[in-house]
Amino acid sequence: MATLSTPNHAVEQFAEQVKQANLDKQTIQITGNQSKVPLRNEDLNGDPVQELNISNYSGIIEYEPAELVVTVKAGTPLTELQAALAERNQMLAFEPPDYGNSTIGGTYAVGLTGPSKPFRGILRDFVLGTKMIDGQGRQLGFGGKMIKNVAGYDVSRMLVGSKGSMALITEMSLKVIPLAIEVTYCIEMPENEAILLMNKMAGTALPMTGGAYYQGRFYYRVAGEHSLQTNQVGVRECDNSIWLTLNPFRPELEAGEKLWRVDVESTNPAIENTIAVGMGGTRRWVASPHKPNHPYVTLWQTRFAPRHNDTPCVQKIKLGLRDVFDPNHIFKQL
Amino acid sequence: MDVIQALTDAITTKNVLSSVESCRPYECDGLSAYREKPLAVALPDNVEQVKAVLRICKQYKVPVITRGSGTGLAGGTLPLKDGVVLGLSKLSEIIKIDPLQRIAVVQPGVRNIAVSQAVEKYGLYYAPDPSSQIACSIGGNVAENSGGVHCLKYGLTVHNVLSIKVLNMDGEESNFDEKDDGIDLLALMNGSEGLLGVIVEIKLKLLPKPEAAQLVMAAFHSVSDCADAVTSVLEQGIIPAGLEMMDKFSLMAAEEFAKVGYPTEAEALLLCEVDGSHAQVQTDAKRVADILSQKGAYKITVSQSEKERIALWQGRKNAFPAVGRFSPDYYCMDGTIPRNKLAFVLEEIDRLSGIYGLKVANVFHAGDGNLHPLILYDANKEGELQLTEKFGTEILNLCVDVGGTITGEHGVGVEKLNSMCHQYNTPELEIFHGIKAVFDDTGLLNPGKAVPTLHRCAEVGQMHVHNNQLPHPHLERF
Ligand SMILES: Cc1cc2nc3c(=O)[nH]c(=O)nc-3n(C[C@H](O)[C@H](O)[C@@H](O)COP(=O)(O)OP(=O)(O)OC[C@H]3O[C@@H](n4cnc5c(N)ncnc54)[C@H](O)[C@@H]3O)c2cc1C
Ligand SMILES: Cc1cc2nc3c(=O)[nH]c(=O)nc-3n(C[C@H](O)[C@H](O)[C@H](O)COP(=O)(O)OP(=O)(O)OC[C@H]3O[C@@H](n4cnc5c(N)ncnc54)[C@H](O)[C@@H]3O)c2cc1C
Repeated sequence: MATLSTPNHAVEQFAEQVKQANLDKQTIQITGNQSKVPLRNEDLNGDPVQELNISNYSGIIEYEPAELVVTVKAGTPLTELQAALAERNQMLAFEPPDYGNSTIGGTYAVGLTGPSKPFRGILRDFVLGTKMIDGQGRQLGFGGKMIKNVAGYDVSRMLVGSKGSMALITEMSLKVIPLAIEVTYCIEMPENEAILLMNKMAGTALPMTGGAYYQGRFYYRVAGEHSLQTNQVGVRECDNSIWLTLNPFRPELEAGEKLWRVDVESTNPAIENTIAVGMGGTRRWVASPHKPNHPYVTLWQTRFAPRHNDTPCVQKIKLGLRDVFDPNHIFKQL
Repeated sequence: MDVIQALTDAITTKNVLSSVESCRPYECDGLSAYREKPLAVALPDNVEQVKAVLRICKQYKVPVITRGSGTGLAGGTLPLKDGVVLGLSKLSEIIKIDPLQRIAVVQPGVRNIAVSQAVEKYGLYYAPDPSSQIACSIGGNVAENSGGVHCLKYGLTVHNVLSIKVLNMDGEESNFDEKDDGIDLLALMNGSEGLLGVIVEIKLKLLPKPEAAQLVMAAFHSVSDCADAVTSVLEQGIIPAGLEMMDKFSLMAAEEFAKVGYPTEAEALLLCEVDGSHAQVQTDAKRVADILSQKGAYKITVSQSEKERIALWQGRKNAFPAVGRFSPDYYCMDGTIPRNKLAFVLEEIDRLSGIYGLKVANVFHAGDGNLHPLILYDANKEGELQLTEKFGTEILNLCVDVGGTITGEHGVGVEKLNSMCHQYNTPELEIFHGIKAVFDDTGLLNPGKAVPTLHRCAEVGQMHVHNNQLPHPHLERF
């Protein structure tokens, strides 16, 4: 945003490092806490890669609960951010998975959302503004702290999922919501019946915030005051911790199996080798040596495996946008 | 052959307008102070014809101004005299409704309200509800990322769209889906004001209708008490479905127009709607009423029936035309501010209103900080429109200076180009122009809208530092 912001020493240093890399023709890999992407010391051409670690740039910059907005440095660990919000009876609506020490910046960069996805929305829905450093080392700001803001293209939401390949995110403002008081119920049934039921229930006035199928049980989560559930045959209350089992989902795999994240329409019938259904039916986790035959499949392993299934037209747009943000290709591509 | 002939050959004579008379309805959008007769208006029947129009315009290097229903309030569809208006009103088919999956797939010309009407029988609705919803199109909603009175709880358009199909100037189609890997091009398209592509199909998220809703109406002796009360409601963990505030002028005008029993002696009126399960609504309505009275509301009415709830909304929903009756013309602003700056900003607007000699009525989406000051003026009075615009620009700059934005939901269009220079610096504007060029290297899609040229900002900048003084020097800069 325009106007004079106070110079920020740490951010200045990041910007310097990026500018210098332009002069040295040096590739940079942005890292948070590397909970997702382990650092590789060379790029695709085998040239050395310099690390730009943002995990020390951490902490809450501004938080006014009544404005429903928190502004945070990108290196802030999720646990720290979530604890600060919980203290004021608020939370991140998108319930990001915490792989141990994930930062909010890394979570933004990979665009990870939890079980409430179809009910409350995805990570980018809650991004109001970001400050960043582009590939030329310029400090930029897009959006702001407003829940509504349509001035200029929505760059802060667009860069969700950019995986450190277009800009270094230094700060972001996120919309927060009141801490939800939730109860989980479960009932035993076959997978296809559960998929049907979770869709049917999501179309009723029941305030649902989660729907999943795991190890033979249909789980659903409800927020706030609602009609009695346990008077229905087979339904019982169970522990909320199931949502942490599924988010992040870290199953034990058999030898030779791989974990596939499959995103589908919520009503998609059961997919072969599925070991968990989440997000109201829109997310399927498949354990198999072979890639499931669906359009939105990601291999889930210690390293990102980008899908690269864009049409030529979309590919051209993505490459073009990368050049806009990082014309000299300083930031490492995965 | 000229472009009009080529269009006629491609999409038939009945779908191409070019006479002064036939083009008249397309000369402007909701910002009627700006008008221009386009070279021609193309009204394709289907997506194949849209592609043909784009290819022809590219071949003849003719600008394309995409138009939905033309209800935009920022001049986003203002024609160019050498450009073609691409009107999508005939693409008005609801392609698919899947009640189980809770989605609808629609063409861009479908009116907003038509979606909710079509899915009502399933107990579902489409949440974003701009006040213009009986007329505005879903394509226009996506292009503007429109909001409505319920967006604090249910989100803007961007939060309720699952995928879109978009054409570029070559007529090539791309699909942007929420499930896509990598950067979020779907989010980028929301609010891109017709500069990045022509949206020809939209998959919408549908929500179950809440079981119950109740409206709490509260009257205050001062605007700042009312603003504080809003803060308390949100602080205590209630997210109302709607939270609207009116100042004295608007509430009096609304009451005179709609006769719904608003307390005309109040300085500020708050309408707070809660929805959800019956039990939740009862609890929340009571909590809201308690909080508001603790925070100085001197009169509180809680709707006791659906009929009463709808009646109480009528005044607010008609606030614009109601205020409009007091003046030949009015100009609607759309700045958004942090709520805690509300009292200050309203005082400043009042002060400026005195200086400019123009009356202002304020309606306010209080929950999300979106202000709609309505400046009353008379376009027939020499120079009054220019004066109004200048006043408007000052209000928007003020919004930016307190940490807000120049537009919450109406978009930049042609109207707020100068204010964009105030909100963004050169590198950000360069990025915007870069993005535009990636999607549209011809520069033919809605040129001159939404993002000011650097040249223009240089000139505006010279205006701003007039007398070497920044506006509002006493304010901290954000
Ligand atoms: C075993 C395991 C497997 C996983 N597999 C996958 C997978 O296949 N695909 C997937 O998407 N996720 C996967 N994850 C999740 C994910 O990679 C991380 O957990 C992420 O959420 C962690 O944040 P971080 O701070 O540790 O980021 P890091 O792991 O350090 O970085 C994650 C990505 O974000 C970028 N980044 C970090 N901070 C910034 C910043 N401030 N600005 C710009 N870019 C930044 C990095 O360049 C990198 O591309 C996996 C996690 C684990 C533990
Ligand atoms: C009385 C009144 C009340 C209003 N209330 C609200 C409100 O509460 N909230 C709100 O947000 N807005 C409101 N508006 C503004 C306006 O209705 C919205 O901006 C609406 O979304 C515009 O839709 P439209 O179909 O009329 O679009 P148009 O005015 O035809 O076009 C708007 C912009 O979108 C582009 N566009 C249109 N269709 C497409 C497409 N298919 N592909 C690409 N670009 C396209 C155009 O080029 C233009 O830039 C109001 C307007 C009026 C007149």
